[in-house]
Amino acid sequence: MIRRFAQGIAPLLALLLAWQLASASGVFPAQVLVPPSEVAATLARLWQDGELGDHLGTSLFRLVFGFLTGAAIGLAFGAAMALSKLFETLFAPVFQAVRQVPVLAFIPMLVLLLGIEERFKIVVVAVAVFFPVALATFDGVKGIPKAWFEVARLYRTPPLPFITRILLPAAVPPVLTGLRLGLTRGWLVLVACELLAADSGIGQMMEMGRQMFRIDVVLAGVFVSGLVGFGLDRSVKLVERRFARWKEA
Amino acid sequence: MTLHTRIDTPHVPIDTPANGALTIANLSKDFRIGREALPVLDRIDLDIRAGEFVSIVGPSGCGKSTLVRLIAGLDTDYAGEIRLDGKRIAGTSLDRGLIFQDHRLFPWLTLEENVGLALLNTDIPKPQRARIVAEHIALVNLTGFEQAYPHQLSGGMAQRAAIARALVTEPKLLLLDEPLGALDALTRVHVQRELQRIWLTQRSTMVMVTHDVEEAVFLGDRVIVMDAKPGRIRRIVDIDLPHPRDRSSPILHRLRDEILAELTGPQVDSQAPENLVHLPVREVRA
Amino acid sequence: MARLNTPAARILLGLVVPVLLLIWWQAQSAQGGARALAFVPLQEVGATLAAQIVSGFLLNDVLSTLSRALTGLLLGGLAGTALGVAMAMWRPLDRVVGPLYHAVRQVPLLGWLPLIGLWVGNGDATKLLVVSLAAFYPTVLNSYEGVAAVERRYVEVGSLFGFSPAQRFSHVLLPAALPLILTGFTQALAFAWIATIGTEILLGAPAGLGATMGVAQAQQRMDVILVAILAAALLGFSINHLFARLRRHLLRWQPVLA
Repeated sequence: MIRRFAQGIAPLLALLLAWQLASASGVFPAQVLVPPSEVAATLARLWQDGELGDHLGTSLFRLVFGFLTGAAIGLAFGAAMALSKLFETLFAPVFQAVRQVPVLAFIPMLVLLLGIEERFKIVVVAVAVFFPVALATFDGVKGIPKAWFEVARLYRTPPLPFITRILLPAAVPPVLTGLRLGLTRGWLVLVACELLAADSGIGQMMEMGRQMFRIDVVLAGVFVSGLVGFGLDRSVKLVERRFARWKEA
Repeated sequence: MTLHTRIDTPHVPIDTPANGALTIANLSKDFRIGREALPVLDRIDLDIRAGEFVSIVGPSGCGKSTLVRLIAGLDTDYAGEIRLDGKRIAGTSLDRGLIFQDHRLFPWLTLEENVGLALLNTDIPKPQRARIVAEHIALVNLTGFEQAYPHQLSGGMAQRAAIARALVTEPKLLLLDEPLGALDALTRVHVQRELQRIWLTQRSTMVMVTHDVEEAVFLGDRVIVMDAKPGRIRRIVDIDLPHPRDRSSPILHRLRDEILAELTGPQVDSQAPENLVHLPVREVRA
Repeated sequence: MARLNTPAARILLGLVVPVLLLIWWQAQSAQGGARALAFVPLQEVGATLAAQIVSGFLLNDVLSTLSRALTGLLLGGLAGTALGVAMAMWRPLDRVVGPLYHAVRQVPLLGWLPLIGLWVGNGDATKLLVVSLAAFYPTVLNSYEGVAAVERRYVEVGSLFGFSPAQRFSHVLLPAALPLILTGFTQALAFAWIATIGTEILLGAPAGLGATMGVAQAQQRMDVILVAILAAALLGFSINHLFARLRRHLLRWQPVLA
């Protein structure tokens, strides 16, 4: 375990070292490449100022709020489509058509409809989360094998145990995968929104850094956004593993 | 390259093929699990004549599949000697064909392409290859299915296609590792008959591992009965009957019963449980 | 409920929600004032669409966006597949590049824009780089998995027939990994498409659906935005469809298609 960790971290350290040496060589101007030590210093300064914390807090608030909204609607919508033939007939065509639009293409439209304030960012994240979650929920509920319903009938399983013991465990793994996809999709779209129009947030911090030719700030932003992405992905994966123990591999 | 004219004229005298004699001397093979060496084959001595059909039967874990993989050259880590026509085996070669329990046809190629791919590294000129492939597909009675993909073939057809692919390079020695194990009982009888016909036509040496004692005695000139843990040759049974054989021959039945008794008999205590069906205690109800 | 099963009934019911949405939109636009700015009347959207088709403006946008997306898909996809295959076949490369790949992948795609912008500027090169990167990630992952998962039993068959390493690669590894490699390209197509529209919106361009949306947003032209969205959706759907057909053709040897 420790050895595998060391093997994984070694190339990263090597890259940092090469980077440090390259920037120390003086071949690249400071606007093009700053040493990682300087990025780390900037990161520490931004953190102590509370500036980074503010940006991060704002971004995470938007993400969480948008995610919860989009995921809740997506879960309800996906489940309704899977369970009711009528609902599916009514809504599936619209759903499938709108799904074809790349999420980022909604941004200009939503800006016109909602302005560029908080509401807009939360809605964009919610839209980005909604589609993968709704799709995964639909597939997850639809994908429960018919045979399991028959087994339940055979053993005369009462409704409540049927839901908690069969339906939920069967549908949860694909739904969790959808939630994870939605979360990373939401983060991607939020950073894009903040690059485009915002007065705070990690994306805005990077965009400001770019406009002021502060590559250290930009790199700090890249690092933090990567860390957030990693943390989100990893935490849902942990939950996924917890719920998918019965699956092989 | 007169090698490939044999199929065209199967009536040419074929009593003693020039080569394909296998000599196994003092062959041992260990598997390493951590630091422990687990003996799989223990001092095997066996001479197989050119053109002979030899069946190998034995309980699970007797190393019969390992033996076949060693002869094929898929595993070259062994102690002792395996020689084909006097040449020590140290890797795979087109001299030796192998048919597995699963047909292992490449799913992305048609039947014809599968058989043809085996000729990739032969020195047969390109123009002749198509003809040779067609002949071998005809040999296993699959003419008309050249363009089919493996998933479109039934189990028996796929296994026959695998036989065609293994034979297309005209190996001196054909190894068969439970070739019919995955087929249903009726198909199995049918392919057994095909196999016998092909062997009578080709007359290459064949070594077949099987679980099915009846199949072993029906096809084999000799049946090698093996012991497990470690794998040793327990007994060699000569089946002195001319081919093609009659499946209902009483002699075959007697030999089969004898070998079965040998495999499941009280002497083989340690193996007996593996060949019996156990009913879990819970399921036994009054 | 039985009537739900006839195709005609299904189509009719499927039209209910879109028609209601359109009516609602039209009603909003009739309210006038600030609302009319956002909810442009449908006839206006139709007129804009017709005008853009006639003038060739739409076609020009479509072709620009399409060529960006496909160039990026090809560059990023081929590079990604090559790297993934190489990593699966050569462990040392996997050990060195694998952790770097997984670290870099955590950064949300468009988060690279400010950095690449500083290095390369905001021109076409930056857009192409980001689109290629979008196609790169999934193709690395899938081609790696594809080659790593090639069953030993097929490799053994190759060795029985005396395949050289090059023959083993082209006759066994590559075809066996093809389904997953194509899965990687399918995902890459979706990501490249999103990245193209996204970079066009964020960076602007002389032509392109995203660029037009960005300009239209500044000019508050909802009709232009809606036409671009419509075009983006139709185009995305058609490429996906074409690619799915290509994939089915290449994998016609598979018993069941996922």
